[in-house]
Amino acid sequence: MTPGGYFGRALVVDVTDGSTSVLPLPDDVLRDYLGGVGLGTWLLNRLTHDGADPLGTDAPLAFVFSPLVGTPLTTSAKFAVVATSPLTGLLTDALASSHFALAGKFTGHDAIVLTGKADTLTSVLISDDGVRLEDAADLRGLPAADAEEAVRERYGRRWRAAAIGPAGENLVRYATISHDGRHAGRGGLGAVLGGKNVKCLAVKGGARVRLADRDAVLAAAKDLRQRSFGPATAKYRELGTLANLLAFNAISTLPTRNFQAATFAEAPALSAEDLAGSRSTVKTGCASCSIGCEHIYATTKGTKARVEYENVFALGPLCGVSDPDDVLEASARCDALGLDTISAGGTIAWAMECVANGLLDVPWLRFGDGAALLRALDEIGSRSGIGDLLAEGSRRAADVVGQGSASFAPHVKGMEMPGYDPRTMQAMALGLAVNARGADHNRSGAYEADLSGRLDRLNGSRDHVLAAIETEDRAAVMDSLILCKFLRGVFDDPFTEWAALLSPVTGWSVTGTELHATAKRIVLAKRAFNRRVGWTPGDDWLPARFLDDAVEVASGRSAALSPERLRTMIDIYYAERGLDPQGLPTHAAQRTEQRS
Amino acid sequence: MTYTVYSMSAVAGIVLAGGRSSRMGTPKAHLEWHGSTLLRHITGVVGRAVDGPVIVVSAPGQSLPELDPDVLVRSDPEKGRGPMQGLAVGLAAAAEHAETAFVCSTDLPFLHTAFINAVLRGFHADPDAGWDTPPEMVLPIVHGFRQPLAAGYRTELASRIADLLAGGHDRPGHLVADCRARMLTEQELLADRTLAALDPQLRAVRNVNTVEDYQDARALPAPDVVVERFGVLATAGRGHRGPSRLQAANLASAAGQLGLTLNGHIVAAVNGDHIRGDGGWPLQDGDTVAFLSADAGG
Repeated sequence: MTPGGYFGRALVVDVTDGSTSVLPLPDDVLRDYLGGVGLGTWLLNRLTHDGADPLGTDAPLAFVFSPLVGTPLTTSAKFAVVATSPLTGLLTDALASSHFALAGKFTGHDAIVLTGKADTLTSVLISDDGVRLEDAADLRGLPAADAEEAVRERYGRRWRAAAIGPAGENLVRYATISHDGRHAGRGGLGAVLGGKNVKCLAVKGGARVRLADRDAVLAAAKDLRQRSFGPATAKYRELGTLANLLAFNAISTLPTRNFQAATFAEAPALSAEDLAGSRSTVKTGCASCSIGCEHIYATTKGTKARVEYENVFALGPLCGVSDPDDVLEASARCDALGLDTISAGGTIAWAMECVANGLLDVPWLRFGDGAALLRALDEIGSRSGIGDLLAEGSRRAADVVGQGSASFAPHVKGMEMPGYDPRTMQAMALGLAVNARGADHNRSGAYEADLSGRLDRLNGSRDHVLAAIETEDRAAVMDSLILCKFLRGVFDDPFTEWAALLSPVTGWSVTGTELHATAKRIVLAKRAFNRRVGWTPGDDWLPARFLDDAVEVASGRSAALSPERLRTMIDIYYAERGLDPQGLPTHAAQRTEQRS
Repeated sequence: MTYTVYSMSAVAGIVLAGGRSSRMGTPKAHLEWHGSTLLRHITGVVGRAVDGPVIVVSAPGQSLPELDPDVLVRSDPEKGRGPMQGLAVGLAAAAEHAETAFVCSTDLPFLHTAFINAVLRGFHADPDAGWDTPPEMVLPIVHGFRQPLAAGYRTELASRIADLLAGGHDRPGHLVADCRARMLTEQELLADRTLAALDPQLRAVRNVNTVEDYQDARALPAPDVVVERFGVLATAGRGHRGPSRLQAANLASAAGQLGLTLNGHIVAAVNGDHIRGDGGWPLQDGDTVAFLSADAGG
């Protein structure tokens, strides 16, 4: 019998003609990779042809659910979208939340994989009645939210849709897929869907999830819900992640003007503490979530924007923009266009520095100019003007511009840096350098170590590496179960407590030790996939700026990350992960990874 | 088991705790200091100023108060040979991790990181002052006295001190005569603007030898610090979010006065630099303490 929480199958849809096949998911695969990011990585390894173009017909795009989706466990209504990234050329996996996860799983599948390419812009509809392709020409150019609403209006309110905006249609390499205003944001998954000529995937289902021990699951859900109201989630509930902004400014880790500085004098104007009182309009949350982290603010002109730290940092300080109206408007613009705010802000900030240095002849694109920021976003979304170059991301754009501009292109593996200066957070520096997805904070989470109060964040060492491995392992399991990262602080003994959640759902007798091994397997599986599609040892590194230029913290201490220190930390990481000195899995590690 | 790898350019801190405390009548290391102990306070202050390990050198069999787990403890091999013996032991231990070390005694309750930094800067080559190459020892002269127990040393001096001890030369003056020592006058020390602002009277070297000394020192107010709160902490607890001033000798005291508890979800950044969650972390005049959520990330 299929384990509880699963259907034991993935649906593979060729959008070229709507043909389908069912891929059985054996129990041992499910147990080894769980769901979400883990199962998605397994699917990618299984279904990707060597040499496939991420934007081409062959490339699979997997929407992956998890054993906890559909259970009453708080924050579990999440799904992963996994594909080869058109931005990095490597694996990318992004999570999004809410009703799509529930409706998608209720189609009776643990994953839905799209392959092929439709002739014209298409909506893919999957329900108990089967799969059908519908013309979506009239949805062209619509923001994802509008397309989502149009689909529900047209086919019925029970349908839930994940859609792309204009940026995805125009193959911007960091376009998003979104649903309910939440984005599977990083790595250009929207371009992958756009490359298939698919505007949206709509799902509706009546299947129900079997739980191995319903009473135990209900008891665990009640307990977890209660704990979700405690101090570990207060920040997310009350101010949202934007609460990071002033704190990060105080500890010199707020990237400013393309990482030329780590503090922003105008930061208070953009802070949650100040904006919440005057601009906050709505606090809301995802389906099946008791935290409610989403904070929607309004501009003085009435535009409403979902605000998180990452979009404010990237569209504010990183571009030198301090007017909250401009930053909120830019956030809303990214939502409407379907752009990853971090990559958009990072690429624009790089271009602003190029302009300041005379490397790009775009005189209007200046640091601190909110109107220029908005114009750049529009041009990126439509691939017009300078936007056609910037739609490629900072790494490719720097290859075109040359003249040393690659040294300050703020990316790892082609993915733009999140809002943490690696010189003043050196566990995070390691996490950013070695992570499979590229410069990414959510798959590493090593900032937890830097902010823990237990390590000197300016002085990376073996302890920082071990802490980064631990947070990366935790992320691998949370992203596969799937549970929201904002819950992580409520777990005292995470792997054991997660095993206690998974066991009554599935009927497996899972231990924390097993889940820890599962985490390591998933991390290695990502690395194995990347190796197949072109990863080289030089990809595990940071841009020259962070290794050549120090920043000074408020105490006067210099925060420097030398190439030698980063090399040492990476070497320790490789050894601890069972990788060889080139970062490749050893035979023993490969056996672990390939158990299934 | 984890361990920290220090760069060899690191600076160590050495606290000599093995004195007899005969005039005090009770071990100075255990003296209460604003809810902590004097030794814990001193090791914390030194730890704030150096990027290498902090090493406490104790007398054989000496009991020590609870210390931060990162502090290394080394013991004198024999009793009664004075500070030179402790210096040799401490520098030898520090030499495994660092090229230089700041060395002090336990009984300096007003020791300030600005003073330590000013001393350590004396190791920089300074051709204008006649130091084309760095000295082996940096020796402050304050209030008319040499301060070998609030001074900087190259760790390679450990073997020379051992040789001096073997030859019966057990006074710091013997080492001063035997190495390239750079004297720092009060004027030179106070040329450091931070030190001049935070400790203009150079209280850093005011030691406590008697009960009266200790009582006088203890009666003085706790350090004057600026506190700020960010994020949800801005609205939690008492008072406005800051910046505001209060008097607190350590993080727990500052947090408590704001109605906050360092519970793992709240940490403090001191002067925008070190982030700590342990309440015993010492504060000093001029500090700015930012309380923030440890649950960062987005």
